[in-house]
Amino acid sequence: MLEGFNFRIIWEYMPFFMEGVRNTALISLISLFLALIAGIVACAGRLSKWKLLRGVAIFYIESIRTTPLLVQIYFFYFGLPTLGFRIPELQTGILALMLNSGAYIAEIIRAGITSVPSGQIEAGVSSGLNYFQRMRFIILPQAVGVTVPPLLGQAIVLVKDTALLSLISVMELTRCGQVLTSERFMPTEAFFTVAFFYLCLYFCLKTLADWSQKKLIFREVY
Amino acid sequence: MISFYFQRLVEIFPFFLKGLWMTVIVAGSGLVFGTICGFLLGILRAGKNKVITRLIGVYVAVIRGTPFVVQIFIVFFILPEWGIQLDALPAAILALSILGTAFICEIVAGGVKAVAAGQWEAAASSGLTRIQQLRLVIIPQAMQTILPPLVGQYVLLIKDSSVVSVIGVVELTRVGWVTVVRIPEGLMVFSLVGFLYFVISYPLIRLSNYLEKRMAVQETKL
Amino acid sequence: MIKFDGVNKWYGKLHVLNDINLEVASGEVVVICGPSGSGKSTLIRCINRLEKFQKGELYVDGMPLHDHGTSLTKLRADIGFVFQQFHLYPHMTALQNVTLAPIHVRKVSKKDAEALGRQKLIRVGLEDKADAYPTQLSGGQQQRVAIARGLAMSPKIMLFDEPTSALDPEMIGEVLDVMVKLAKEGMTMCVVTHEMGFARQVADRVIFMDAGQLIETGPPTQFFDNPQTKRAAQFISKILTH
Repeated sequence: MLEGFNFRIIWEYMPFFMEGVRNTALISLISLFLALIAGIVACAGRLSKWKLLRGVAIFYIESIRTTPLLVQIYFFYFGLPTLGFRIPELQTGILALMLNSGAYIAEIIRAGITSVPSGQIEAGVSSGLNYFQRMRFIILPQAVGVTVPPLLGQAIVLVKDTALLSLISVMELTRCGQVLTSERFMPTEAFFTVAFFYLCLYFCLKTLADWSQKKLIFREVY
Repeated sequence: MISFYFQRLVEIFPFFLKGLWMTVIVAGSGLVFGTICGFLLGILRAGKNKVITRLIGVYVAVIRGTPFVVQIFIVFFILPEWGIQLDALPAAILALSILGTAFICEIVAGGVKAVAAGQWEAAASSGLTRIQQLRLVIIPQAMQTILPPLVGQYVLLIKDSSVVSVIGVVELTRVGWVTVVRIPEGLMVFSLVGFLYFVISYPLIRLSNYLEKRMAVQETKL
Repeated sequence: MIKFDGVNKWYGKLHVLNDINLEVASGEVVVICGPSGSGKSTLIRCINRLEKFQKGELYVDGMPLHDHGTSLTKLRADIGFVFQQFHLYPHMTALQNVTLAPIHVRKVSKKDAEALGRQKLIRVGLEDKADAYPTQLSGGQQQRVAIARGLAMSPKIMLFDEPTSALDPEMIGEVLDVMVKLAKEGMTMCVVTHEMGFARQVADRVIFMDAGQLIETGPPTQFFDNPQTKRAAQFISKILTH
């Protein structure tokens, strides 16, 4: 089946693929960073005492979680121009990815914070620590161990999500495959190479995630 | 202007319902095949044969490490080069089934492994064959661990089905994509699309939450 | 009924069973004791092939276990095994636990199996708990259901792996009573236990194991009052003082 796999074509297009990998990595990093911020803000809103803030946060998070990412991408891609915003595809894509991952990250952080046993919080209160001190010294350090592995999992999902940006003409890795297919009619070479590079990114992130799983868990010791 | 477009949207609504129905068919088929194959592979994956376990592990890693859109391109564009010509709808269902099988396989394997080893021994000691042990003792207990994430996976598959729109299957997302050309109100069109996805996901999300709570209660009873 | 002939088992470098030669006759009640790690659980788990061994021969009711051709399901149908952790099926009632194997292995009809099952539950004193789930039963009750589950197959041999070690003290008695009754009715039994009272009452022989070897064997009165080996004597004194 693989006789005649044209490695020369892949070599010829290698700089092109490398650019695609680089773009995918950059888009992922930027979106992840922005999504972390969005997630922290949304999580703070979700846990706040004011009903309005909580309501907005819940509405945001649940809308994202119950609708497909592609629909969200199209929502901004086709919708923003009608509001008068002429934003290039790349930025639109990053916006959609940021809001999408942001909602999931908000839930991951919330799960991490609520996983710290209430006894720990009581101990902090009894020592006279205020809310911010308790957060800084007691809750967040222990929440980190529970939060980092799922965050890395979300990073892996995000890298795969960037592939959908190819459908709004953003030049990332998947689009390289599409271009090679349409220019040279070689979908096998194109998409197997694309898949290979995604698998490389996946294994790097997965190794990091597995390592963090082992190293960062703090548990109450009886 | 907006009200004019809104009116046209209302007129076109049946088209959206047809798209929704197609989404149900595609996602539903993928779900059914994915569950059947996922259970079979998951049981094998939880077994003792190291060769089979590793092979299935490779399959799962490849599926989890590559974007679904790339998988769809491979099924739709590369299979014909090997002599398997598929129409868009069968290709979509095949790709979604392959995706679902990989994820459900891991969920099932996790559930089976979670059943205490003593249960296997007790069942074996009564003279039950391996298949009887699985059918009567192990799987019924594994279902407790499997059901909540399984239903969650169904929601994910419904959202992933939106990606098959790229090979021309006229499901819900494609309907929105096609509509937005005639009714250039991206926000309205894709809000409607998103809402319809919400309508079919929400019952499953509620079911998953309910199952998770029930499982937590059962654990405390033990 | 049971014959170990030069059985050896290694777990990596660890020699867990060291040249075991043992014969158990039909109707005999044998108690196996020894310090933890001595291989006593491993020994009886070999009898229904929950454990395999690398060297030697083992015959159970004439069937050679060391032969790969032996049908395990047939062998296990005739042997009842009671675990330290009971391992009742949590998703089934007591009666369903007891009737599962008769229905699916012996192909008995559901009605006949239920009648048989109730009979066995009466025998262990739990006929009123037939429809209870394991979570609703105390440890002692669960273990008695486990014994009924083993008896439902009308086995030729009953094996017990520390049946009372996981029980609260006040429940040990009810389980031992069932086992004593069983022994007096002539069942072939191999019991791994520390309950010396039980051994004195019904054991035909006590076997002492240490570090994978059979150190000493003899009738209970002789074993407890007049141990022949130093290690056995040490072990007995440790049990009695605690």
